[in-house]
Amino acid sequence: MLKDITIGQFFPGDSLLHRLDPRMKIVLTVLYIVLLFVAKSIVSFAAVTVFSLILVFLSKISPKLILKSLKPLLFIIVFTTVLNIFYVKGTPIFEPIDILGWQFTITYEGLLTAVVMVLRITLLITTTSLLTYTTSPIALTDGIERLLSPLNAVKVPVHEFSMMMTIALRFIPTLIEETEKIMAAQKSRGSTFSEGGLIKRAKALIPILVPLFVSAFRRAEELATAMECRCYAGGKGRTRLKQYKLCARDYISLLTVIAVFAATIAINILLQGIVFAI
Amino acid sequence: MAFIKTENLSFAYDDDLSHAALKNINIEINEGEFVAILGHNGSGKSTLAKHLNGILLPTEGRVTVDGMDTADDEALIKIRRTAGMVFQNPDNQIVASIVEEDVAFAPENLGIDPLEIRKRVDEALETVGMTKYKNHSAHMLSGGQKQRVAIAGLLAMKPKCIILDEPTAMLDPKGRKEVMKTIKKLNSEENITIVLITHYMDEAAKAKRVIVMNKGEVMLDDTPHYVFQNAGLLKSIGLDVPQSTELMFELRKQDIKVPLAVISDDECVTVLKEILEEDRVTD
Repeated sequence: MLKDITIGQFFPGDSLLHRLDPRMKIVLTVLYIVLLFVAKSIVSFAAVTVFSLILVFLSKISPKLILKSLKPLLFIIVFTTVLNIFYVKGTPIFEPIDILGWQFTITYEGLLTAVVMVLRITLLITTTSLLTYTTSPIALTDGIERLLSPLNAVKVPVHEFSMMMTIALRFIPTLIEETEKIMAAQKSRGSTFSEGGLIKRAKALIPILVPLFVSAFRRAEELATAMECRCYAGGKGRTRLKQYKLCARDYISLLTVIAVFAATIAINILLQGIVFAI
Repeated sequence: MAFIKTENLSFAYDDDLSHAALKNINIEINEGEFVAILGHNGSGKSTLAKHLNGILLPTEGRVTVDGMDTADDEALIKIRRTAGMVFQNPDNQIVASIVEEDVAFAPENLGIDPLEIRKRVDEALETVGMTKYKNHSAHMLSGGQKQRVAIAGLLAMKPKCIILDEPTAMLDPKGRKEVMKTIKKLNSEENITIVLITHYMDEAAKAKRVIVMNKGEVMLDDTPHYVFQNAGLLKSIGLDVPQSTELMFELRKQDIKVPLAVISDDECVTVLKEILEEDRVTD
């Protein structure tokens, strides 16, 4: 049961998106998020949506999985839609309706804002999950470390942060396995985890968590010794086995995103006042 | 000059030598040796091992590795690079999720050029026979494979000595065999000094020298043939002897004249054959 959890939800593959340099992917994702907020007209949103669909297609990841990533945020999406429809002032579509003393009206502007907001949130989540779907957690951590490495100059512990991430990712499966073992041990002694009220269930977790924590600390100590034995002395002077090198596809992707970016700005300026803009 | 040398080494976990874990230990290990350290739980064998590459520092006395004092902070990295250590729990010594990235951990720490790291990683994995698994997830491997990856992780530092602290204690028989085979190969082919801490007699019998620890002191220090002749003494401190030696020990109790210095199955077969043939002649 616990083994099904895939943290970071990485789906191995060999698509173009999988093969892009992780640093470039992170940069492009950030650029894309900015782009979503720069886009102001319906036309540019249509363009950005098409672009996102192309990305999904290129990733070779089933659209079903991507829709699944939207599920946890459904509430926020619905909430912002409702809020925008009723609260944005402008030209009303129909005369205000009076319900229990409250004046309700829907405006054109409200409707449009709602559509744009929904698109913005949906695309935001879709593309950021594409990043984690197509990049292994290790590559992601590596990419982040390398991108943030200039911050070392101002004493931000970038290496320590990424080492923590690496170790955490390494030990997730080990600790999950251990949790299952402890649960089985406690079950065999007659404890139940799925019966009783909330408080009873929470209490049943204590005999799992205590041994798990004790063992995690013991592991941490042993790992620290093992790391010392292998000459670990922090990030200073460390080299890396994996060298990332940007190649043609990385530059082409960068150029494509920049082109879409430029097009969006151009649409914003050219269509100002012609098509409704927010 | 001895490669690893302890001089009057005493150690207590709380600095109070009245209940020391190690008492006045003087041993010398030469380059290329294969030494097994035997002892019961609490005999101080693991504590001794941890002194050999500076994880623990002596309360009294000193330890030198390749001429460097382990108490010297400046030399610590160099000492650890010279003498690597493998631990009991295979899970708790693998740092990265992917096999080859874990093997690369030590050379990365040493600041070695990426191309050279690549070369060392490939060589190390080849030596322990794990090349096939280089892109595998470390947690999916068996215990014996994990220990071999841990050994490869040390080999990538190009150490002169590897200290193994009960590396097979948590493994199944198959994994144990794999690891022992790898250790023997490192000693005979790569001329790496091996210090194997164990409580399996059959593993100790494969070494060229056995040190028996009891209550923080060195009790015996000789070739396995000689050490296991003292079957009675070993039994008195709660240790077993290899099964072949045990058989000889019991036969002698029945007044059958056999040599005690029999530690391997092959030797045992030869001796038994001799006795049986003699028997037939006298009949």
